[in-house]
Amino acid sequence: MQINKDFTIQKVGASYVAVPVGETSKTFHGMVRLNETGAFLWKQMAGKDCTEADLVDALLGEYDVAREIAERDVHRVVEQLKENGILV
Amino acid sequence: MFVIELAGVRIGIDNRYPFIERQCRAFLCEGEAAAFTVRASSDDILEESNHGEFSDAYCESICLYRHICEKIADYNVFLMHASVIEVDGRAYAFCAKSGVGKSTHTRLWIKNIPHARVLNGDKPLLKLEDDGSVTAFGTPWNGKENWGENISARLAGICFLERGVKNAIRPADEEEIIPRLSHQLYLRGSRESVNRRLMMMDALVRAVPYYVLACTISDEAALLSYRTMSGAQE
Repeated sequence: MQINKDFTIQKVGASYVAVPVGETSKTFHGMVRLNETGAFLWKQMAGKDCTEADLVDALLGEYDVAREIAERDVHRVVEQLKENGILV
Repeated sequence: MFVIELAGVRIGIDNRYPFIERQCRAFLCEGEAAAFTVRASSDDILEESNHGEFSDAYCESICLYRHICEKIADYNVFLMHASVIEVDGRAYAFCAKSGVGKSTHTRLWIKNIPHARVLNGDKPLLKLEDDGSVTAFGTPWNGKENWGENISARLAGICFLERGVKNAIRPADEEEIIPRLSHQLYLRGSRESVNRRLMMMDALVRAVPYYVLACTISDEAALLSYRTMSGAQE
């Protein structure tokens, strides 16, 4: 899976905001809010294909968390992005 | 083709219909020099008119404002959907979901607060200044009530309106500012322009105080929000 490239992500205040750009902005209205972890995972999935397992490994390489917590966080973010049609 | 000045930026309008020139009459300026020029293609206008039952001339006006908002981001200026009221040189912005009562609350300010006048009732521009402050500017796009003037004032606060059974105002939590604000900012367009606007949104979050007002339709509601918002920076 990969992030729809017609999105941009920026830090706004204390959280991260992803919004559609170009053609996608005509069909996707609104925005997605992500925390630090969500934004980190977003960047892993931007421009390259990866699996949930890849994301868990990337998260464990960056943060000091237990594997099951990383797996839960990755799954939660992936589901959120899938629901919004952002993962392709 | 004519030139207007919005938020200190000279903009060329290459129009098809005379409607837009009448709409812009308070913002017209002399000469042909412009920072950029906008035009709406027939496809733009067609796409816009598909969404409703508006005339081509009106749709052209909407398309032109979209194009302006895309380009004016380069000048640290962006659109916020709000009713902005100016009182003694300071601007107060009210945001609400449609139907909540932005116009009603605006009317109550005009009735109850000396020197209050509507800067723009619907689609003002905000400029992020070099010193971190924000200036609100009137525009020709000012909603169905047509409230607005070609004036500007430093933004003193943003208030999110909600209906209530009694009047109560509180500072907005940092957590709720971004989702509430994002509904009111125009964030469509090219990647570069959207990125610029998101950076301005980040600055806007820190630039002014934010409030949430639960209100009834009453003079007290206007007096409460005015007292709270005008006192905050004194």
